[in-house]
Amino acid sequence: MLWILLALFVVYPLAAMFGQAFLVDGRPSLAPLLSILALPNHRAAMWNSLVLGALVGVIGTAVGFLFAFTATRCNLPARWVRLLDVATLLPLISPPFTTSIAFVFSFGPRGLITYELLGVKGTNVYGLPSTLAAEVLTYFPIAYLALRPVLAAIGGNIEEMAFSLGSSRWRVFRTVTLPLTVPGLANAFLLLFAASLADFATPLILAGSRFPVLPTEAYLQITGLFDLKGGAVLSFLLLVPAAIVFLAQRYWVGRGHYVTVTGKSGAQSTLDGVSPGARAVLVAACAAVALSILYLYALLLYASVVVAFGANHALTLKHYVVIFTEGRKAIIDTLIIAFIGMPLGGLFGVLVGYLVARGEFRGRQAMEIASMVNYALPGTIVGIAYLIAFNDPPIALTGGALIIVACYVFRYSPTGTRTTIALLKQIDRGIEEASHSLGAGSFTTFRRVTLPLVLPAFFAGLGVVFIRSMTAISATIFLVSIDWVLITVRILENMTELSLGPAAAFSVFVIVLVMAVTSAISALLRRLPGPPGAASVAGLGG
Amino acid sequence: MAANPVAIRLEGISARFDHRVKGAVAAVDNVSLDVAPGELLTLLGPSGCGKTTTLRMIAGFQKPSAGRIQIGDQDVTEVMSNDRNIGFVFQNYALFPHLSVYENVAYGLRVRKLDDAAMRGAVGDVLALVGLKGYEGQMPHQLSGGEQQRVALARAIVIRPRVLLFDEPLSNLDAKLRVQMRGEIQRLQREVGITTVYVTHDQEEAMAISDRIAVMNKGVIAQLGSAEDLYQRPASAFVAKFIGRANLLRATVLARDGDRVTLDIAGRRHQAAATGAASSLGKTIQAVVRPEALAIDAAGAGASLPGTVVTRTYLGEKVEYLIAAGDETLQVVQLGPAEARRFPSGTSVGIRLPATGIHLIEEPEA
Amino acid sequence: MYRSIARRTALLAAGLALLAIRPTQAQDTLNAYSIWPENWARPMLEEFTKASGIKVNFLRFSSGEALARVIAEKGNPKIDVLFGGPVETFAAGVKEGVFEPYKPPSFAALPARFKHPDGVWVAIADDPLVFMTNTKFLAENKLNAPASWDDLLNPAYKNGLQMADARTSGTAVTRIFSILEANGRDEEKAFAYMKKLRGNVQLYTKSGGGGTLPVGLGQASGGIFFIVDALDTKAKGYDVQISFPKEGIGTAAEGIALIKGAKSPELGKKLIDWASSPAMQSLFAVHKINFVPAHPEVKTEASLAAVLKGAKVFAIDDAYAGANRKRVVDRWVAEILP
Repeated sequence: MLWILLALFVVYPLAAMFGQAFLVDGRPSLAPLLSILALPNHRAAMWNSLVLGALVGVIGTAVGFLFAFTATRCNLPARWVRLLDVATLLPLISPPFTTSIAFVFSFGPRGLITYELLGVKGTNVYGLPSTLAAEVLTYFPIAYLALRPVLAAIGGNIEEMAFSLGSSRWRVFRTVTLPLTVPGLANAFLLLFAASLADFATPLILAGSRFPVLPTEAYLQITGLFDLKGGAVLSFLLLVPAAIVFLAQRYWVGRGHYVTVTGKSGAQSTLDGVSPGARAVLVAACAAVALSILYLYALLLYASVVVAFGANHALTLKHYVVIFTEGRKAIIDTLIIAFIGMPLGGLFGVLVGYLVARGEFRGRQAMEIASMVNYALPGTIVGIAYLIAFNDPPIALTGGALIIVACYVFRYSPTGTRTTIALLKQIDRGIEEASHSLGAGSFTTFRRVTLPLVLPAFFAGLGVVFIRSMTAISATIFLVSIDWVLITVRILENMTELSLGPAAAFSVFVIVLVMAVTSAISALLRRLPGPPGAASVAGLGG
Repeated sequence: MAANPVAIRLEGISARFDHRVKGAVAAVDNVSLDVAPGELLTLLGPSGCGKTTTLRMIAGFQKPSAGRIQIGDQDVTEVMSNDRNIGFVFQNYALFPHLSVYENVAYGLRVRKLDDAAMRGAVGDVLALVGLKGYEGQMPHQLSGGEQQRVALARAIVIRPRVLLFDEPLSNLDAKLRVQMRGEIQRLQREVGITTVYVTHDQEEAMAISDRIAVMNKGVIAQLGSAEDLYQRPASAFVAKFIGRANLLRATVLARDGDRVTLDIAGRRHQAAATGAASSLGKTIQAVVRPEALAIDAAGAGASLPGTVVTRTYLGEKVEYLIAAGDETLQVVQLGPAEARRFPSGTSVGIRLPATGIHLIEEPEA
Repeated sequence: MYRSIARRTALLAAGLALLAIRPTQAQDTLNAYSIWPENWARPMLEEFTKASGIKVNFLRFSSGEALARVIAEKGNPKIDVLFGGPVETFAAGVKEGVFEPYKPPSFAALPARFKHPDGVWVAIADDPLVFMTNTKFLAENKLNAPASWDDLLNPAYKNGLQMADARTSGTAVTRIFSILEANGRDEEKAFAYMKKLRGNVQLYTKSGGGGTLPVGLGQASGGIFFIVDALDTKAKGYDVQISFPKEGIGTAAEGIALIKGAKSPELGKKLIDWASSPAMQSLFAVHKINFVPAHPEVKTEASLAAVLKGAKVFAIDDAYAGANRKRVVDRWVAEILP
C-alpha cells in the first residue's frame, strides 16, 4: 500500500515530467532540451542558480558555524542564547517573501538604510548581492541547527585533551575543532546549496530581470506562457544538481550524521574555548546578524500596521481587517489543507520510518530513498511534475485539495521519517521483543509500544508538515485553483500588486499562528511520558 | 514422555547467516539440548559463542535455519514468540519507557485480557514477590538499575510462562548488586518453579545459580554438566580455562593404574590421582591443575618444579603468584596468606604439584 | 502485519481525502478568473452580487497566467467567466477556442473596437497606457515628465524604470504593441528601441501594476503603466507625474468573455450583461476606479477626462495583436529579456 502511494505520488509524477521533457510525439528526443538551452536567458539561469547556490552554501555555512560556535563555546548567558535561538527560528517558520520585502524596503533606491540613512542614490537592490544576502539570512539557521550538535558533541573532552597537551586556544580550534567539524560543514554546505537551488520566493522578488534563476524561469515558463514542455525541461536542468547534492549528502557526508543527532548535545563544556577578546568579537558578530534579522521582522510588523509603508505611516489595523475578510477564504482553505495534511503526513512519516528501521523486507532502502525524493527535490520540480502528471486523466487531480494535501504529505513527511528512524535506532529492539514475549502480536506491539515511543517523531513530523503547509509556495503555486487558494499564494499576489500592507499582515498572521502551533506541539512533547531525552531528539528542525 | 519429562528440547538447531566478509557463518551449529522441568540451566560462554542466539531461538525472536524446538510436548519451531507463552528478561531490561511500573507488569495480562480485579491482584502479588510494593506509579526512568531489573523480572513471571529466559540480566549492574540479585533470581526461580534458561558470560554467576551449565564455544556446546563437573573434570582446555582459572601443563603419561597415573612433567616424574584421558598411555596430554592446588616451596626443595616469581599480588584473603617455570608461566594461589611465607618477585622458588585433583585432557594444545 | 497497518492507514487517508473534497458550489455561485487586481475587481463584483444576488467566487491572475490556466482547463473548465484584462489576451484566447460567443444587450451600442464581431468577447472599459514618473526624481535630475518615447532613453533613467514582464502581464503586451504601432509596425525598429530601453530598466515586474508603488516610493524613477494603476498611485498620495508620448501610446480595451463549457453559463451571461452595460461602468467613478467606460452612454469622469485631454492615444488592433502575440512575446523573451 505504501509502495502504491509512493509510486503514485513520487515516481509517477517525475516519470511524467521526464516524458514531457524528452518525448516528442512519443519518441525520445533532445530537441526540447536544445531549444530551451538555445535561449541565453535559460543558460544564464542555470549558471546563476549554481553560483547563487554555491555562494549561499559557503557564506551561510560560515554564518551558521559562527552562531553554532558562539552558542557552544562562549558560555553565553541563557538569555543571549535565547536571542540567538529566536533570531534563527524566525526565518525557519516564516512564509516566503518576508525577508525579500523587508530587503527592498531597506536597501532599495529609497530604502530606509540606503537612502534615508546613508543617502546613497540610485542603488539597485535587484540582483545577485541582495538575493544572496536575503537567502543567507533565510537559510543559515539550517546550518546552525546542523552544526550546533556537531560542535557540542566534539566539545568538552577532546578539546580539553588538546589543551592539556599544551595547545593554544587558536591551535586547538585549527587542529582539532575545525577538522572534526569538516563533515558537519560539508553537510551544512550541501543543505544550504539545495535550499538555495530550490528557493523560488526570494529570487522572484529580489533577483530582478538580469539575474534569472531556474526555479523562477520554470515558473514563468509555465504560468505565463503555459509551456509545460519548457517548464519540464527547466525543471530537469534544476533536477540534475539537486540530485547530485542529494546523493552526495546521503553517501558522502550523511554517514556520520546520526551520531551527531543522537549525541549528547546537552552536555555543555564548562571550558572557556575562546579568549575574552575573540569572545567579544564572536558575540558581536552574532548579535549583529541576529539583530538584522529581528530588524527585518520588526519592519514587516511595522509595515502591517501602517496605512501605506513609505508614504503614509499612520497606524491602522485595516490590513488585518482585509486579510480576515477578503483573505478569509485563503486562510480557511490553508488551514483546512494544513489540518488534513498534518495527521496524514505525521502518520505517513512514522510508518515509513518504522518500516525502514524495523521492517524485514526487500527494498527497504529503496523505500527510504523514494520517500525522501520529493523532500530533496526543489519544490518547483515537484509542483511542475504534479501539474503534468495529474492535469489530465487517468489521474486528474488538479483543481482539488487532494493534490495539495498529497504534495505536502509526500514532500514534508520525511522529517517525521528521519526522526522516527533516529528514535528507533535509540530504542532497543528488545522493547518490542519484550512485548512479543509477553504475548502481544505485531499489531498490538506497534500500537501499544512502538507508536507511543515514536510519538515525539510523529509530533515533530506533524509540526513540520503544518509549518510547511502554512509557508510553502514553490510547489503548490502550480496546484492552487479557483476552489482552493493558499495564504502564501495570496501573499505573492499581494506582493505583485504591491498591496504590501495585506502581504505583511498575512505574513505576521502566519508567523504568529505557526509559533502558536509549534509551541503547543513542543509543550505536548514535553508532557509525553517516556525518557526525558526523547523529546529533544525530535526537536522541530528542518 | 512421563518417564523422561522434558521442559525444553532443542534438536540440532542451527542459526546460519551470510556474513559480508566471512561468507556463510553459523552462529549456532547443530545444537541439541534437553532442559528438565523446573531446572535452571545456564548457557555460558564468551561473547560470540552463540549462547544469546540460542536463547533467542528458544524465545522465538529468531527462527533456526535448521532443527526443531520443543517446549513441553509442543513443537514450537514455527510458533511466533507471542504464542509461545514464555517470559523473557533482557540484558537492558527493555522496560516500556512510556508505561508505569504497574502498567509494565500488567502488560502481558492486558494482552491476555484479564479482568481488572484479577490483574490488580496478580500484579500486586508479583511486585511483593520482587520487593517492589509501592512502586506501582513510578516510571521506569525514575528507578535504579536493580529496581528496573526487578520490574523486568516481575513482568516476565506474572504471566506464568512455561519457561523463563534470561539474557545476561545482571551485566548492567555493579558488582555488589549483581551478587545480591543473582541470589534473588535463584530464590524466585525456586519459589515459582519455572523451567529457566539463563545466559551469561560470567562463570561465577553461572556456577552460583545453575543446576546445570552448558558451556558454549563457537556455536556448539563444549560441555554440559553441573558446576562441579565442569570445574573438576573439564572436557577441554577451553572449558578448563573458561571455568575458573587453570594451569595447563604439558605431560606424558608414563604409567597408569586406575586413577593412579605417573606423569612426566618438564622432565620430572610425578605420581598423582587423576581423572580424564582414559587411554592415554604413552601420549603427550595436558594436565589441568587449578592454581589453588599448587604450593610454593623455597627453591631446591624436593620434587618441585623450579621457577622464578614474576609477580606477587596481595588480595587480602589470598595471594596470587605468577611464576615462570621453564617456558610456561604458572598461576599459583596461596590461601590464608597470613600464615604463609612471602616470596617477593624475583625469588627462585619450587612449585609442588598436588597428589590428587589433576585432570588430564587429551586434545592438543590450542 | 505491515499490510494490516498499511490498510488501516489507507482507509484513514481515503476518509480524510473525502472530507477534503468540497461540496459542489451552490447553484447561485459563479466562478471567475479576474485579470483586474483585487482593488478593482472586488468592489465591482460585490456590486454585481448586490444587484443580482449572484455570488462570485473569483481568483486573480495576471493576464498571461489567467489565459494559460483557461487554456489548460479547456477539457474541464473550472470557471464560467474571464473578467477584465486587455483584449489582446482575449484575442489570443479566441485562437485557442476557449470562449463561447455571447452578445449581451449592450452589444449593438458598443463601438466596433469594443467588441468581437461574433460576440466572443465584449469590452467593459478602456484603459490607455501612460508614462508615470516620480516627481522628486524629475526635480533632482532637472527633467520634465517624458513626452516622447525617446525621452525614456535618457541616461538619467539608467536602472530606474520598472515595467511589466511580457511573460505574465497583459500590460507588457499592450506596451510592446504600442511600441510596434508607434514604429509603424516595423518590428526591427521596435525591437531596436526596446533593446535600447532595456538598459534603463531596473526590473520587469510580474504584474502590470507591479512597478507603480516603487515609482511612487522613488525606488524606481518611472515606468509605463495603465492609467488606472497610475492614477490610483497618485490617489494614494504618492507624488508622481503622468504624461503621454507625443508619438502616441496604445490603449487596451478591457474585455469579458464567457468560457466554453462553463458549468453555469446563465450566471455568466448575467455578469456579462451587467458588466458591459452602464450599470457597472457608471460605478467606476463611485469607486474611484479610473477606467474609461466602454459604453458610449457612460460619461468619462471629469478628472480622468482632464488627464486624457490632448493625449494621443490609439487603439491596439486586436486582430493584429492576437495573431502576432505569441511570436512577439517569444521574441521579446529571447532578445530583450536577457
